[in-house]
Order: sequence, then structure tokens, then C-alpha cells
Amino acid sequence: MRRPATGVLPWVACFGLFGLLPLLAALVLSFQAYNPLRPDLVRWIGLENYGRALASPSFWHALRTTAIFVAGTLPVTLTLAYLVAGLLSRIRRAEGFFRAAIFFPATLSMVVISLVFKSLYAEEGLLNAWLAAAGLGRVHWLQDPALALPSIMLMDIWASAGYYAILILAGRKTLPREQLDAARLEGLSAWTVERRIVLPHLKPVLLFVVLLNTIRSFQIFIEVFVLTRGGPLESTLTLVYHLYERAFYHFEMGYASALAYLLLALVGIVLLIQRRLLGRSAAGNPA
Amino acid sequence: MGATGDSRLRRPAAFAAFLAAVATALLLLLGGGCGKKGDGRTVLVFWQFSPLTAIEPVIARFESENPGIDVRVEQLTWQSGREKIVAAVAAGRPPDLCELGSTFLPGLVADSTLLDLTDQVADLWPALVGWETAAAHGRAYGIPWMLGTRALYVNLDLLRRAGLDPTKPPVTWAELLAASRRISERVPDAKGFGMNAGEREILFKKVMPFAWGNGGDILDSTLTKSVMASPQNLEALRFYLSLKPYSLLDRQEMHDQAFGKGRLGFVISGPWLLRALPKSAPDLKFSVVLMPRPAADRGTHASFAGAEVLGVFRGAKRKAEAIRLARFLVRPENTMPVFIATGNAFPAAVGAEADTYFVSHPMDRVFLTQLKTAVAPPLHPRWVEIEEIVNGELEQAIHGSKTPEAALGSADARIAEVLARRP
Repeated sequence: MRRPATGVLPWVACFGLFGLLPLLAALVLSFQAYNPLRPDLVRWIGLENYGRALASPSFWHALRTTAIFVAGTLPVTLTLAYLVAGLLSRIRRAEGFFRAAIFFPATLSMVVISLVFKSLYAEEGLLNAWLAAAGLGRVHWLQDPALALPSIMLMDIWASAGYYAILILAGRKTLPREQLDAARLEGLSAWTVERRIVLPHLKPVLLFVVLLNTIRSFQIFIEVFVLTRGGPLESTLTLVYHLYERAFYHFEMGYASALAYLLLALVGIVLLIQRRLLGRSAAGNPA
Repeated sequence: MGATGDSRLRRPAAFAAFLAAVATALLLLLGGGCGKKGDGRTVLVFWQFSPLTAIEPVIARFESENPGIDVRVEQLTWQSGREKIVAAVAAGRPPDLCELGSTFLPGLVADSTLLDLTDQVADLWPALVGWETAAAHGRAYGIPWMLGTRALYVNLDLLRRAGLDPTKPPVTWAELLAASRRISERVPDAKGFGMNAGEREILFKKVMPFAWGNGGDILDSTLTKSVMASPQNLEALRFYLSLKPYSLLDRQEMHDQAFGKGRLGFVISGPWLLRALPKSAPDLKFSVVLMPRPAADRGTHASFAGAEVLGVFRGAKRKAEAIRLARFLVRPENTMPVFIATGNAFPAAVGAEADTYFVSHPMDRVFLTQLKTAVAPPLHPRWVEIEEIVNGELEQAIHGSKTPEAALGSADARIAEVLARRP
């Protein structure tokens, strides 16, 4: 039983050095007034950074934007991924091609995806050219404060749904054949089979997808950095982008660390709620 | 299992080897910036933003003039350079010499991160222009290396198609407005003017030139009072917003692209577009003119002045050698090759405009003339906050969520608050 421990040593060392150590350093920083350009002036200020964040309208605005992003993308991505996985499981010809095509966005860097969408969403971009060809008016995808966040959400859903679809498809592949055959022999409809056999079987995978997507969505940064820089009119100012601005433009590394820990706590709470809601039945599933 | 005994023996050895490897890697990481090579030569670390192919020939000349110094040049990007510099300073391992954008400088000066170079560069003051971007209260915290500005690009074909005389591009605000309107109304699928939107961080560079040309400003001459709500600023902002119905509202790079495609009459842009257009739009007929002034008989052709400044951090290991390299780099014979290779900013060296390059490149020369009436943002310790306020309020005015009066009034009050705050 002790042998595997040696195998994970490199990972433990790397995680300790590049994961845990910075995490603990950031925790210490969150209780300090720390300007990275003046490390000699560092001061211990206790919970002041946390108090300041909770009293800051910018923090609550960024939190609200992030919450809208999470609430808007999570269910759509999950539903889309579930449907795509269902379709992929029924394909018999060129299965590998379709799987690769669906998974393709996951192989691209988010910076590349964002740059492509920046061109698509441009006022003179391809999307507006298509709309014009269809006789429709121009849409200000990234310039309209009401549309900028939904445009980023749309891009994010496109970029991530394929990855989660493949995860769900992998879960579908483990469905017990006999159970499905028996259901068919009993004359159950496809909808009933999906609802009573497939869905319960997939719950652990779905829980994993939900948790993973939640964490990723709360961390949204690259998309905002490349496409909008938090604008227009701060309509896409997410928590991590807000944190980045405070850290690297205002050099408030202590305050930014406090924001990061507030985000960590928030994600933790949301994940616990999700686990409680979805996890119990998933754990109870014999599959 | 037979292997168990062996593996028990091997495990501590493997673990020790692993630890040794990690320790070696760490030592290499931490020791990477050693200042002396084995042969006693000094290694100087220089971070800058130009492509290495542009800067390396100049560095090679410096090294041949200074046989004891090896320069290790690294290229930063404008997207992530700031983070890298902050991280290096925070880690106590800044480069010896660093190229810095002028808008980044005030924060560094406020935090006393940069070395006061006043005494070491006193003789350079008459030899360079653009000191206002690198000096505060008579003290120099950097050496101006390259200067950048924006001018007005004019699509001559669109002027012609709109029934305007392409030999008479707009000189005044009224002419710019009239021509923008005419192009928008008469040429299908074309807009008159490129108005920046969706990139709040550069708005002051695009709107304030109209205010500066009109006698307005952000702070008064003592840098202690906001003058954002001045009538001059209000008139300028009102004029800028009057261009909106005839404008393409998008980011700068999209403006540059639309201009190249012949769908934009006028765009305020930098010299980089001069290099890009012959490749991306070889058939485009365009010219570059000075930014319009308020009227033929008043105001100036003001624009935004940015600078690329060479700075030495207090924590730098080889300050004397860094200053020697900086002094070498700002010499006109060394800045011209970098400018010709990159085309982004112009030499700060006095007399650089006499170079034959500018005779054969008249549009580059327009930028040199534009630089004479360009205005640099103040080197104020709270500039980052002030800039954020100005950009935010201008964005609200452009999006119509605030009237020009309300936006400038709010900017004025918020800047006054920032100025009143104790350091």
C-alpha cells in the first residue's frame, strides 16, 4: 500500500511548490496592505481588506456579473452537452469524426477562441455581415452594455459544451446493455428510458460536469480580458477581472488576495450546495 | 515479491535523486539572473518591447563598444509586460534596464520604484525631447527613448466618392464633422469617423486631444486641481459626441481594419498603420494629416503624446552599466534603426527628423509635426486612478448614459476626491 506514495511524490512536490505555497502566501497577503512595488511598506491590517471588499460597490457589481455568467452558462451548457452526448451515442457512422468535431473547441486555447470571436463580433465582422445579407440590422455584440455579457456567454457555451458532451458520452458508454434491452422488451418509451434509466445512471458524471463547469465559470477571465476588458460600462466586469485590475493596475495585491479568497469561499459554498442537491442521489445510484 | 526488497532499497535513493533534481531546478531558477559570467564579463538584463530582430543589431554595437558587458535582451508584450515587470520588482529581481510606457510610469514614480537619474543624465536634457513624460518636479525618473502620437488618417477615395475634394482634408472640427456626415450619407456601407468604443482604457487618448486643442485639460498646471468640468472640455466633448451618428463605434484594431477595407473615412491612429496598410490594403488611397483644431483661427492640432522611456529600478543590480546602455540607446544613430524596423514610435533624439528616412517618407514626417503639438498625460502619482475616472466617465458620455455635462462634472468631483486624499 505504501508503494504508490512514491509515485505521487513529483506531483505532491509540484503542487506544494506551485499550488499550495502560493495559496498560503495569498492567504497571508489577504491580511496585509501589500504593494508589490513597495514590499518594504507591507503592513498587517487584519480583516480590513475583507471588510473593504464587502463594502465596495465594485465588488458586488463584479459578483453580480459573475453570478449572471454562471447562472446563464451552466444550465445551457449542461443541457446542450447532454443533448449532444445523446445524439453522439446514436450515431453509427463516422462516430469518431463527429466526436472529434464536437471536442475540437476544447483543444483550442481560450485566447485563440476569444480572438476569433472578437473578429466575429466586430461591428464589421462576419456575424453582422450575415445579418446584413439576411436583410437584418447590425447588432452591437460587444459594444452594447446589454449584449456584451450574453455575447461572451454564448462564446463560452460554444467553447465548453463539446468538452462536457464527451464526458457525458463516456458516462453513457457505461450504461448496462441488459438494462436497456430489458426496458425495450417491456415496451418503455425512449423518454421513459432516458428519464428512468439513463439519467440516474449519469448522475455522478453530471455532478462532476456541474462542479467542473461551476468552478471554471466563476474563474472567467481570459474571455473578458481579450474581448471587453470589463466594459462597456463595466457590464462584463467579473470578479477575477476586477481582482486582476486591483492587483496589477492599482498594485493592491493584499486587497486582490482578499478578493481571491472571497471568490474561493463563494465557489466552495456553491459547490457544497450543488453537491447536496445533486450528490445525494448520485451517491445512492448503484451505477 | 522479489522486487520488494530491491524497491525498498531503491526508493530512498530515487527520492533523494528526485529531491536533488528539484533543488537543482530551483537553484537554476533562482540563480538565473547572475550578474557575472564565468569569464568575468558583466551580464546586463534589458527588458523592452521591440522585436528582438530590431534591437539586437543595436545591442551588438553596444557590446562591441563595451567589451566587458553582455546584454541579455528580453522582449515584453504590451498585453502582459506590466504584470511581468510588477512581478519582477516584487520578487526583488527587476531587470537592470527596462523600457516603460509613459502611462505606466506615474505609478512607478509614486512608489519610488525607479532610480532618480537626474544627475546622471543632466547633459542629455538638451539632446532629447519628451522629458515631460519622464520627469516630475524637475527630477528625471527615466530617459525618453521613443515618442508616439496619433494623427488623422484620411481615405481619399471615400472623400472623392462623397463629392469632397481629396486634396483638402479636414483641418478644423467643423470640416471633420461635415466630411464625416457627407461620407456616411453618400457612400453606402461606409462610415465617416472611427469612434472608439468597447475599450474604455484608451478613451482619454482619443477624446482629450480635442479638449487639449481647445485649451482644456485634466489637471491645472500645478497638478493639484481638477479642471475636467471646464467649458473648453465640455465644448470638445460635445463636438466629439456630435460625430457619433456618422461613426463606426468599435475598438481601435477594428477601426484600423475597416479603414484598410475602405469603409471608414477618418480614423485617429498611430504610425503602426502606416506600416500595415501597404501590406493589407495596397490599393488604398489615403493620407495622414494633423488632428483637426477647433477652428481655423483658434486652438491647436493637439493629440495624445506617449513615450517609451528607459528606466532603472532601484533594485537593479547593475545600475551604472544600465545607465551606460540607456545613454547609448537614445543616441539618434541607435534609435533610428529601431524606429525603422518597428515604426511604432519616433526617436526622442533632437535632430532625428533630419534623417533622410523622413525625406522619403513624408507621412511619417506628419507624425513628427504632430508630436510638436501633442500633449502627454501628467506624471502625477495618482494618474492610474485619474485615468480610470476620465475613461469611465467618457465611456458613459459616449454610450449616452450620462450627458456631457454630467460626465465631466462627475469626473471633476471624483478626481478632486482623489487629489484630496492623503498619500
